[in-house]
This record gives sequence, structure tokens and C-alpha cells, in this order.
Amino acid sequence: MNDARSLRRERFAPVTYALLTAGLLLTMVLCVCVGSVPITLSDTVTAVWNALWGLPIPQNIAKNIILNVRLPRVLCVALAGASLSLCGAAMQGLLRNPLADGSTIGVSSGAALGAVIAMAAGITLPGSGYGGVMLTAMAFAFGSLVLILSLAYALDRSLATNSIILIGVIFTMFISSIISLVVTFASEHTRSLNFWTLGSFSGVNYDQAKLLGLALLVCGSVILRYSHELNAFAVGEDNARHIGVNVKRVKLIILITISALIGVCVSISGTVSFVGLVMPHIARMLVGPNHRRLLPAALFAGAIFLLLADLAARTLFSPIELSIGVVTSLVGAVAFVIIFYRTRKAG
Amino acid sequence: MLKAEHITVRYGEHTVVDDVSFQLREGQWLMLAGPNGAGKSTLIEAIAQGVPYAGRIEWEGQDLRSMKSAQLARRIGVLSQKNAVGYAYSVEEVVGLGRYAYRQGFLSGRRGEDRDCVDQALEMTGLQDLRRASMLTLSGGETQRAFLAQVFAQDPRVLILDEPANHLDLNYQQQIFSLIRDWLKRPGRAVLSVVHDLSLARRYGTHAVLMDRGRCVAQGETEAVMTPDNLNGVYGMDVAAWLGGLLSQWQ
Amino acid sequence: MSRKIVSLLLAALLLIGCLPALAEEAVTVVDMHDREITLTEPVTRIVAMQPSDCEILCAIGCEDALVGIGQYCDYPASITSLPVVQSGAETNVEEILALEPQVVLMNDMSQSEEQVKQLEENGVKVVVSKATDIEGVYYAIRMIGALMGKQDAAEAVVADMQATFDDIRAKVQDEGKTVYFEVSPLQYGLWTAGKGTFMDELAGICGLTNAFDDVDDWASISEEQVIARDPDYIVTITMYFGEGPLPVDEILAREGWQDMKAVKNGQVFNASDSNALSRPGPRLKDAAVELYNFVYGEAGEVAPAA
Repeated sequence: MNDARSLRRERFAPVTYALLTAGLLLTMVLCVCVGSVPITLSDTVTAVWNALWGLPIPQNIAKNIILNVRLPRVLCVALAGASLSLCGAAMQGLLRNPLADGSTIGVSSGAALGAVIAMAAGITLPGSGYGGVMLTAMAFAFGSLVLILSLAYALDRSLATNSIILIGVIFTMFISSIISLVVTFASEHTRSLNFWTLGSFSGVNYDQAKLLGLALLVCGSVILRYSHELNAFAVGEDNARHIGVNVKRVKLIILITISALIGVCVSISGTVSFVGLVMPHIARMLVGPNHRRLLPAALFAGAIFLLLADLAARTLFSPIELSIGVVTSLVGAVAFVIIFYRTRKAG
Repeated sequence: MLKAEHITVRYGEHTVVDDVSFQLREGQWLMLAGPNGAGKSTLIEAIAQGVPYAGRIEWEGQDLRSMKSAQLARRIGVLSQKNAVGYAYSVEEVVGLGRYAYRQGFLSGRRGEDRDCVDQALEMTGLQDLRRASMLTLSGGETQRAFLAQVFAQDPRVLILDEPANHLDLNYQQQIFSLIRDWLKRPGRAVLSVVHDLSLARRYGTHAVLMDRGRCVAQGETEAVMTPDNLNGVYGMDVAAWLGGLLSQWQ
Repeated sequence: MSRKIVSLLLAALLLIGCLPALAEEAVTVVDMHDREITLTEPVTRIVAMQPSDCEILCAIGCEDALVGIGQYCDYPASITSLPVVQSGAETNVEEILALEPQVVLMNDMSQSEEQVKQLEENGVKVVVSKATDIEGVYYAIRMIGALMGKQDAAEAVVADMQATFDDIRAKVQDEGKTVYFEVSPLQYGLWTAGKGTFMDELAGICGLTNAFDDVDDWASISEEQVIARDPDYIVTITMYFGEGPLPVDEILAREGWQDMKAVKNGQVFNASDSNALSRPGPRLKDAAVELYNFVYGEAGEVAPAA
């Protein structure tokens, strides 16, 4: 009697994944082949192919641009997009709030503040110069998450309403002003304010790609490991407790993991907003809210989206480069309004 | 099975549950009754380890505080008063979550036993046809039945219900209460519930705890507790006359 | 054309300036917002918001008249002890009034109409100085000289600058070599100075072409483009703060840059003072000499700056 209401998407999951994988690969190829400087396809393919198999690479401009500039950047963008989208999906489930995301809740700006302070104060780890910045960013991300959540809890225990977003927005504004203060007084040590608020992948290298890959591997598997629990949280936190989820422990682990991953992303690329907000929604439209399918789909969707956004930032006004945040916010905000409108209408 | 001793819950200065003790034995359906603000829901939350409390709650001699979440969930299932789902989960997915406490390790998929439990729970609550439906499209009664199916799938020994039939149409009310009574028939089970409707409490309850402003006023078998004297004192009105008057209209 | 009138006027003023008896006469200038400003006598107390105007004032020997400065005014070092009356977009009008200047020199984009009005109502004249090219700098120097009654000193500064630039122009010829100015290093996202910047103009004086003369002003540019355009020279204005590799070494070590002409030939240069290259003041001359020395080496000695 209720056929009209039934969902049919589970059956198509394998097809969806095949499409997403193909889409990601195609996008990556596109992003390596297209750039500010036109390079012939054969030069590009030769450079990448020979580098892959350790063959001697023809000494031409393609080698330097493709292998040293474009490829590491494409890798970093894909990994960061996947990470941010995964974090957004996990946060939206955990807090049972479809508007939650690193940038709306203020975690990203917290991480940025940590990175800025670490740079200004010259905090380094023995052995790796950038480790100190990254760890401080992670710690600040977690600190702001805890602060915002406790403030929101004090207002409204369910966290489902938009008070948490409101607090996040206010927190972000507050943190931005502190960041601009630090940047003003220690401009010689830190990156520009523009970088921290709009993000950029300009000048990233393979080391950063490796770091992002490692962070995504570790944090991503933790988050994926908790997809059942995220489902329970998405249905309701009280319900999660009733069915036997160790609510406090799981929440803490997921929040720490998210903070760590966002911390790494922000310290490498600044705050890139809207990826983590919009992409999980798109993934949810494709595969439904079950995190066992949603999280992997969000990974792919985030990577594809950010790759395309970065491609636009690199090529639209060549030789000038846009901040990637300009593109993601522009596209993301519009997409978000449409999604929000549609879901509201659907009930 | 379940023994609560000197349970006290405070929210700041305010004492919501004040030194309440009771026991729940196999086969019993214990009704928590009392006016609004008596502390019934809070007491239930305390038993489900959802709020901090003073005192001791034991499961067959073991302190509930020392139990792991999943261990507790295999013994006690809770159906909350209001349940709403934010995302378009299917009924089957929500019911399947009830099997969470039985999951083994990391990559375990859904075992056959889990599937049977879910199927059974869906069947008991008459939701087989809606198993693939989105939770967002369900009516209030259907949603409540889905969560009841979830707690059935959880297969606990004790079922704790907070106003299970609140806001439901009469036929669903009757359905849900009969479902629970059927569930209780199997050995080794017990039910603890908050019920506003005193007639329902009298009809289905074997035992009752009458509460008023956080304190336990009377407890024991339903007939002994739900006396006009006790009820009139707690509600500050002639309860029997009011309910009787309502009923007489139908005769 | 108003410029012509002004130069005539300035010439007249110059004549007047030569006559000590008439030094106390009224002063009229047209500022760089095309507004005519008349003062009853040359200025003795002045506030300058922009670093370049401070440098001009000091170069024409009016440091003593300077009573207040803006946030970034740091040259010469002796002025940094003066009260700071402006930071970012915030102008402290009260503080300015308390300093009792006759004139405030400012760039119009940093001030609001209200603030200008407020100052003028209180008897403080606002003079706009906003040079975007070297000709503009000459104009600003002459204008400030007229304000201060130091026309001859101003002419001397302008003449010195012109002589230096002409000297360099005479020695070089355009061989089609290109230069890339790096304003912000790779790790912070590459920025360069394109058309309409002083760096672009200085490159032209030194017989070079700006590799990014197709972008306007300072712009964030793609690393790929820098590699593809393969400039003959790289000039970075990054300041070194004693940590990590030197800016030049960092550029030489960049992955993918090793085959660029400038990198292979070691033609990478760190400007000693980034402000000299970008401020519309008398030190543009020093920056031009430095750039010339970098490109043409020790061989082409230029007369040292006065």
C-alpha cells in the first residue's frame, strides 16, 4: 500500500560507487591536463607515465609544471576535499544537524587561529618545522569544538536547532578578528589574512600531499569505523544511548578525529568553506543517510567538487589565480540554498 | 531483576526525584503514575543511565553504573516519549539499529540472527509493508511503532516506556498496549512505564509506583496503590468521580 | 591640462620663493584630487598619513615641521617617535586636531568624506597626495615643496631623481629581457607586481620587461605561469627575519623551478628594502640603482645617490 513511499536506492549502491570512482579519476585526469599554462596531452601523459614507472623524463617545461606544480596540487586538493567532506558528513550525523560543518561551527577558524599563533610565536617540533603549526592547529580545532558545543549545550541540549550554527558564526567572526590582529602584528611570520579566510592550494608539494594522505587514512578509517554509531547519533543521541552506544566515548573520539583532520587541512590550505557543508548533502541525495554508504560517497563527492573548484580558481582568470574559497563559497552557497529549499519543501 | 534504592536526582538546587526506591520482578508491568512534574520521566532517565543520580540501581545484584553501554542495552530497552528522525533513514535501518548492542567487532555485517530479529520486530508492529519507507514520510503513530520495533529488535529483558502511546489515535494506543502485553508474556521479561492515563495504568499495570513532587507516595500492586484516597491526595481532586463521570457518558 | 597650469603656478611660486621678503605670502596648490587649496603662509606644522609623504617631507628638509604620522611611516627612523594618528582605515581626528597642524596630507582612499569635512571645519586643510607613477611622484614632491615653502629643495630632489633615471636609461638598451617581481613568496601564495606599479616602471627604466605586464597592480598569480614565462631575472622583495633559508636560496631550491633561466644563471635577487621599490617617494631612485646594479653587475657603476 505504501510503495510510493519506499526508498529504492540501496539496490543501486554498487553502480553509484562505480560512477563516483570513474568521476573522480576523470576529474583528476582533467585537472592534471588543464591548467593556467597549456601543455599538450602527449607531453603530460609522457611526463606522468615516465615518472610513474621511473623512466627518464624528457627535460621540458611539461616535466616541471606537471610533475612539480600541477600533480602535487591536484593530489592535495583531492585529499583535502575528501577530508573536509568526510568531516562535514560525520559532524552532520553526530550532531544530527544538517547545517553542521567545520566552517559553520567555527572549527576551521579555530584551527586557523592555532596555525597563525604557532607561526607567529615560532612554535616548532624538533625534526619537523611544520609539525608544531599542525599540532597547534589540531589542538585549537578541538578546543573550539569543545567550547562551541558546551556553549550550545547550555542553550539547547538537543543541538538540533540552529543555535549551534548561530554560536558557530559568532565564534567565527570573533576568531577572525583575533586572526587579523595576530596577522597585523606578526605579518612577517604568518601567511596573509586572505589565505586563512579564503584558503589556497598555491605552492603545495608532495610532502604536504603525503601528510594529507596519511591524515585521511588514519582519521578516515576511524570515522568509517564508527559509521554505525554515526547512524545512531543521526537518528537521535538519546536513542543512541538507549540502544547501547557509549555516547560520551564515541562522541569524544569522533570529535577528536574530526578536529585532527580539519587541523591538518587548515594548516596546509587555509579555511576552505562549504565543501564540508554541501558535499555531504549531495552524497546523501545519491546514497541516502546511512553512513556506511554516505561516508564513502562523501569522500568522493568532496574530492571531485574541490578539484573542480580549484581548476576554476587556477584557470578562470589566468594568469591571475583566485582564492579557492571564492569559488567554493560562490558555488557552494548557491547549491546550499537550493538544497535547503528542496529539503524543506520535501518535508 | 531491577532494584532501585534511594534514587535522588538534582538539577542544581532543584530536587526532581527524591529518595525513591522500588523493585521490578519478572512478569511485572510496573506503572509510574503521578501528575506532571512528579519526576517520572527523570526517574526513567536515571535508570537508563541518562542523568546523574545518587543512590544505587542494581541488575540482579550488579550496579548498573559499572555496566558497559552495550551490556546495559541488552538488558534494558527504552522507548522515549518523543522520537523524531532528522534524516531520511528507512524504517528497516532504524529498527536494525536496535541490534547495535549485539554487534561483534569491527567489520561484522548483519548476521542472520540480527535479520531475523528485525523481521520479527517489523512483523510484530505491522510495519513489514513500510520497511523500505523513509522515516520522514511516516505519521506520528507509524514513527512510534517503528521505534517500538527497534526496542523489540533490541531484545531486552526489561522494557522501559515513557508515555508509549502519547498523542496516538485510540486504535494505535490499543495496538501498542496489546503489543507490549504480548511481549511481556514471554518468561524473564518485565515492563516499567510512565502512563498518564490512569485508566490505562489500571488496566495494564500489575504494579504501580505513585509519585508526587519527586517523592514516592505509594507503591505495590496496582489495586492497592491506585486507591481513591491516594490519587485524590496526589492530584488534588476527586479522581474517581471525574473518570467515572467521563466513562458513564458511554453507557 | 590642470597640471600645466599648476606647473606654471609652481614656477611662479618658485620665483616668489627666491625672494625672502615675499616668503610669507599666500600659498596656493592644486592637490592630486584636483582641489585648489590656499593657505595664508607656508606650512609649519603638518601631519602626513602615508610613508611616502613623510619621506618626501624629510627629503626636502622639513622633518621638523612633521608633527604626526600614519601607521606604516617608518623612514627615516627618526620620525617613528612621532604620534601615530591613523591605523588601517581608522583615523583619529581628535588626535590630529590636538596636534594643531595647518595641513594633513593623505591619500583620499583611506579617509571618509565626513572625516575630511570634520578636519576642514576645524581649520585644518586636507591635501590629497596619491602618486601612481613616477610623474605623479614628481608632482607630489613639488606640491609638498610648495606647501612648505621649499620649492627649490623640492626641485633639487626631483632633478636628482630624473638625473639618476636618465643616467640609467642612457646606459641600458632594451634587449627584451624579462623580470619577474615576487611580492609574496610561494609558501604564502605567489603574488607579483604587474602593470601600473612602480616596480613595472623601474623595470622599464632598466631596459627590462615585466614578465607579468598583462596583469594590473599586485595580483595573485599561478606558479605554472611563472615557470612557463621563464623570466631572465627574478626579484623578490621578501624580507628575511633570520629563520629558515634566505629568500634567494629558497627560490633557487624550489621544485620545478630549477630549469628556469633566472634560476640556472643565478639571476635571483632579494631587494634590500621592499619599501623603496613600492613607495611613491624619493627612494625610487635608490631602488632603480639597486635594480640596475643587479642586472648589469658591478661593471656598470652609476653615480652614487646623493
